[in-house]
Amino acid sequence: MTRDAAVKTVDTTRRAVPFDTANIPGPKMAKPMMPQVAGRMIARARRPLLIVGSEVHDGDVLEKVITIGKTGIQIAAVGNAYKSLGDKGLDVHYMNMHALSYYLCDPKWQGLDGKGGYDLVTFLGITYYYASQAISALKNFSKTKVLSIDKYYHPNADMSFGNLKNDIFIAALDEIIAELQKE
Amino acid sequence: MAIKKGKFVIEGLENVQINIGKVIEEGAERLIEGPTPKPGITSLRSWDYRIIDRYHPVYTPTSDMCDYCTYGKCDLTGNKEGACGIDLEGQSARQALMTSIMGAACHSAHGRHLLHYLIKRYGEDHPIDVGPSNLKAPLTETIMGIQPETIGDFLPVLAYVEEQLTQLTASANTGQEGSARDFESKALHAGMLDLLGMEVADIIQISCMGLPKAEENTAMAEIGMGILDQGKPVVVCVGHNIAAPAYILDYMDENALFDRIEIAGLCCTAHDMTRYNKTARIIGSMSKELKYIRSGIPDVLVTDEQCVRADILKEASELHIPVIATNEKITYGLPDRSGDSVDDIIDDLASGKEKGALILDLEKVGELVPRLAMKVSPIRKEKGITALPDDEEFGKLVAKCTKCQQCTLDCPQNLPIADAMVAAVSGDISQFEVLHDKCVGCGRCDYSCPVKIPVLNVIEKGAQRVIREEKGKVRIGRGQIGDPEIREEGRNLVLGTTPGVIAIVGCGNYPDGTKDVHDVVEEMLKRSYIIISSGCAAMDIGMYKDDEGKTLYEKYPGRFIKGNLLNTGSCVSNAHIAATTIKVASIFAGRKTKGNWEEIADYVMNRIGAVGLAWGAYSQKAFAIATGCNRLGIPVVAGPHGTKYRRAFIGKPYKKDDWNVFDARDGSTVNVEPAPEHLMITAETFDEMMPLLAKMCIRPSDNSLGRAIKLTHYLELSEKYMNKMPDDWHVYVRSEADLPVAKREQLLKTLETEHGWKIDWDRKKITEGPMRKVDVSFQPTNVPRLCKEVSK
Ligand code: SF4
Ligand code: SF4
Repeated sequence: MTRDAAVKTVDTTRRAVPFDTANIPGPKMAKPMMPQVAGRMIARARRPLLIVGSEVHDGDVLEKVITIGKTGIQIAAVGNAYKSLGDKGLDVHYMNMHALSYYLCDPKWQGLDGKGGYDLVTFLGITYYYASQAISALKNFSKTKVLSIDKYYHPNADMSFGNLKNDIFIAALDEIIAELQKE
Repeated sequence: MAIKKGKFVIEGLENVQINIGKVIEEGAERLIEGPTPKPGITSLRSWDYRIIDRYHPVYTPTSDMCDYCTYGKCDLTGNKEGACGIDLEGQSARQALMTSIMGAACHSAHGRHLLHYLIKRYGEDHPIDVGPSNLKAPLTETIMGIQPETIGDFLPVLAYVEEQLTQLTASANTGQEGSARDFESKALHAGMLDLLGMEVADIIQISCMGLPKAEENTAMAEIGMGILDQGKPVVVCVGHNIAAPAYILDYMDENALFDRIEIAGLCCTAHDMTRYNKTARIIGSMSKELKYIRSGIPDVLVTDEQCVRADILKEASELHIPVIATNEKITYGLPDRSGDSVDDIIDDLASGKEKGALILDLEKVGELVPRLAMKVSPIRKEKGITALPDDEEFGKLVAKCTKCQQCTLDCPQNLPIADAMVAAVSGDISQFEVLHDKCVGCGRCDYSCPVKIPVLNVIEKGAQRVIREEKGKVRIGRGQIGDPEIREEGRNLVLGTTPGVIAIVGCGNYPDGTKDVHDVVEEMLKRSYIIISSGCAAMDIGMYKDDEGKTLYEKYPGRFIKGNLLNTGSCVSNAHIAATTIKVASIFAGRKTKGNWEEIADYVMNRIGAVGLAWGAYSQKAFAIATGCNRLGIPVVAGPHGTKYRRAFIGKPYKKDDWNVFDARDGSTVNVEPAPEHLMITAETFDEMMPLLAKMCIRPSDNSLGRAIKLTHYLELSEKYMNKMPDDWHVYVRSEADLPVAKREQLLKTLETEHGWKIDWDRKKITEGPMRKVDVSFQPTNVPRLCKEVSK
């Protein structure tokens, strides 16, 4: 994809219904979000964390995650994501997602590198139901803001993309990258 | 004078009548060795708090609401309180309690059903015989403080379990318990009761029904969807309770019917059928239930209890398969025909007048089922009844798919079904073969397809080639681990020279197919771990063959020593896995067991490198088992679906004070490495799970040789499956002797350069860095009263 095409705006707010049909947690569900909004929020966060899981290995997604990582954001590689991310020169740390979701609720946790907690958590590429459960802990028991930039609508996040076709998903990641590269 | 059972009137107190129902043998009370025989719901609360303070309950709600009572629905999002005052944390903990209670009730009620039946058949005085063991009922002894000798001795045990479960259930009512912490203590209590109920159920069936008694080399049973001769009448028993299938097997034996009728089981009943009669066979786990019914192969379905699909009657009747329900817990609205003649019932079922029958007279079931199968089978076979489409229909169905993806959205595994449909249109059905293994056979996709494609049937039709080849072997469930085996292996376990015991347990709700279970077992056996399995996981281990056509059960022996693969049996045989740790504490370390739960659990947690893997756990029973194991100090790893249990017990390695223990020799406090790091946690993928298992086998009591062995596997598995050294390996190093020999020099260098440790290179010794030193006499404990100085 050319750079021009990459920054073309795509609508990521459509089909904002839980990817698992019955995954309706309650009255509070994620606000559908456009990629530029996500990009700006990440760019402006004091200490953002990107969580990436076992669905990162596919070529396009991997390439986008590496590019996002190269902008300097710290990455928690959950599941087996480290296998594809470990040798790419990123600030990447393996962590178990279940444990991570709990540590993020602990104001005393000093983060993956011991340098302090995070004010914004963004995630993508995690087994759908697994991510949904893990972030339900954050939603209910922490003050941390959570964005889902995965190709699934995640009701437990604060803001989320809708359920996206692959090409839209990749284009949305390009928009986020463009925002991050602006800063 | 010996006191007997009966009624007594005391002279001078004629209005007072004393009833003596059960006489405790002289000395029985004196057996109690610990402070908590028959613990009530708060007796072990301080132990539970010790657990919870280190392994924090982590809640991942599936719903942010509570609709338990008519005040609700209440929105508890963000840990708000509902109308009754409970917050989301409390409600989540209450659900953990209810889940544990359900599981415990299920196993205990199973035990109660068996106990009634076996006492009726064999008498209360029938002796317990579990094989070569003095410690015959380790959980019963540790919890109840008694040493049962006869099956009748289990009557008060189950009465205790039932009473406790009633108390616990009461505390979940609105307006009762409100503290998450105490809900968790109660959930741990229910988990412990679950272990006890399971032990009773399995010991009595082993003792009375001739099931293998701690035998290390039991026969092999055939397993798989492709094992039965479909030309013969086929009987399939579904569930967990051997009572009814035993009568069927007896009748078939007595009437020499094994050559004429195929009989097999689905789910844990299958294990116990093979334990009872080697001729029986195993189709597979619960995830095969709907698939096998839809195949149309069974001519009669016999249900007992647990893990039976709620729609089994509907599904079976569509294919004219009569259902015989044999247990009062599952009756499907069927007419109770227990009092009718076998001939009349057969006529009504064979003619299709009735879809099934509830028959609680098990002797009648024994005669009826084989005769019914022989009568129904020719009729069904002539019609060729199956739910699966023929080739022509299959072609039309796959072409109908609009690729809308609705099935994927409804599928609990989010399987890419439309891709397989598209490939099949161009003649490639291989994707269905892959889907067949990953599909848990739930049938949700059938309901979701807007163009009415019977998706599961299409998958199964497309996978016929692999299904026909699905033939494996399982070593028949052995029951307990005998005392002599513990004597031989206990030392290796406690010192760590056997890297660990991995219990492969639970159901078939795997995140990525059954093969994972086989693969983890193979890897860990090669690394000399002891693998003990039970239930559906034990079946799935035997489903795959190597290039020479051998399953893991055929390649690895079944003794309780390193590098061996054991199958204890069905779901209730899980009790023996947990009980093995008690045996090690008692036989190897001489710890007193009777009424002494806390001390035993403390020993297990600090010294025995055992971990459970419930990779496909789905049921409340599996959660109860895991929670019971947790109270006994055994950590459990679950697959990603396990997050839907909504509660885990996760340690915080970065919170140093959480990892203080006492040295029992003098009561001093020692800050130890986080071992075991968690008590219940999930992993997202197989790769992530592998090193996690190795890490969860590390214990503070490991000697240096043992620690070096455990670290070797932790490092190697992490490098093999995660392409990295673990971040925390150095935390587990107390001296250079703890380092894996082959990599010692290289690791010392890493400790120096990356972690700032000081190394004396002349002597190749660590001089500064570790959090503590190795001390071979260290006696780690979390219980102050077990320290010598304190107890003085
Ligand atoms: S039956 Fe199989 S494919 Fe269908 S929804 Fe269930 S798991 Fe998915
Ligand atoms: S729901 Fe039916 S039409 Fe839609 S993708 Fe699945 S099989 Fe095809």
